[in-house]
Amino acid sequence: MHTGDSYDFTAIVEGGGDGGVPHGALLMAFGAAVHGRDDAELARQREEVRRTLGEEALVDACGVAAVFEAVVRIADATGIPLEDAKEAASRDLRADLGIDRFADLKKG
Amino acid sequence: MDPRPALTEAIERQWARLARPGTWWTGAERVDIALEVRASARCRLCADRLEALSPASVAGAHLSVTELPAAVVEAAHRIATDPARLSEGWFRALLSERFDEARYVELVGVVAIVLAVDAFDRASGRPPRPLPTPVAGAPSRRAPAGARRDRAWVRTLAPEDVTADDPPLYEGRSAANIHRAMSLVPDEVVGFFDLDNEMYLPDRWLRDWGTEYRALSHAQIELLAARMSALNRCVY
Repeated sequence: MHTGDSYDFTAIVEGGGDGGVPHGALLMAFGAAVHGRDDAELARQREEVRRTLGEEALVDACGVAAVFEAVVRIADATGIPLEDAKEAASRDLRADLGIDRFADLKKG
Repeated sequence: MDPRPALTEAIERQWARLARPGTWWTGAERVDIALEVRASARCRLCADRLEALSPASVAGAHLSVTELPAAVVEAAHRIATDPARLSEGWFRALLSERFDEARYVELVGVVAIVLAVDAFDRASGRPPRPLPTPVAGAPSRRAPAGARRDRAWVRTLAPEDVTADDPPLYEGRSAANIHRAMSLVPDEVVGFFDLDNEMYLPDRWLRDWGTEYRALSHAQIELLAARMSALNRCVY
């Protein structure tokens, strides 16, 4: 990012902490519930987002979580790679976070 | 929960488009693909494969609810349930004269719309909406002349190769690879990113860090988006 702020990217892969983003832990827990199959857990997380961040933020969170359940499938199903510039710029970060191991799954 | 009007309209627009004749599939076939996406959540073979070290090691039949060919059902179910372990070898083995690259790409577009809208409804606490009634008519069968194989498993249409005969698939969008992924069927790019603009952010707002356009900040949106990608074990 180019705002001068610092973020903790390990939270993205490991799911702990807030990543240095306000209410980041809450949003990531909501995302995990959308991705999962436990409707009761999703209902709990939905109400927590609504209570803490408000109705409009809940709508935004639903939209972002939902559309990324689909975007990842477009990328994975077409075999589209990262752009060369993004690949180079994120190489160390992806290695540190263990994201590169996701690519190994495609060899299974 | 009342979504923004523009978001509601985009969802309704793309949901209705599911049932209209596409580029290569009829409206009825597109709705059948949507039915298979929903059936995949109850499919024992998909569940068993998801648990297996290698999905190819588990034999069996999908819980199919349509008359679609087996390769089409396999594509819809696997993309919906186990996207991280799709491989180019798996993709190539699916293809045939009746299920070619272009039909596969359109299927990916249908799967993506169904999953995005169903996930939105579930996240919002709503029941799944009924699938739309198929609209009669023939597919357009318009293939972009400039599509070529270069960076993906499927042929893609580079921005510089778009002609006046092609839909404006890159209008208001960067040439990012994710926009290019389904460009062999331009209407699927236009349709999916119409929805993406409202569920996520349009390209012109993505890096406009000085202005917040949603109730969630840029940082909050990107954190959630990145977490969803990680949960799905997606490299892109």
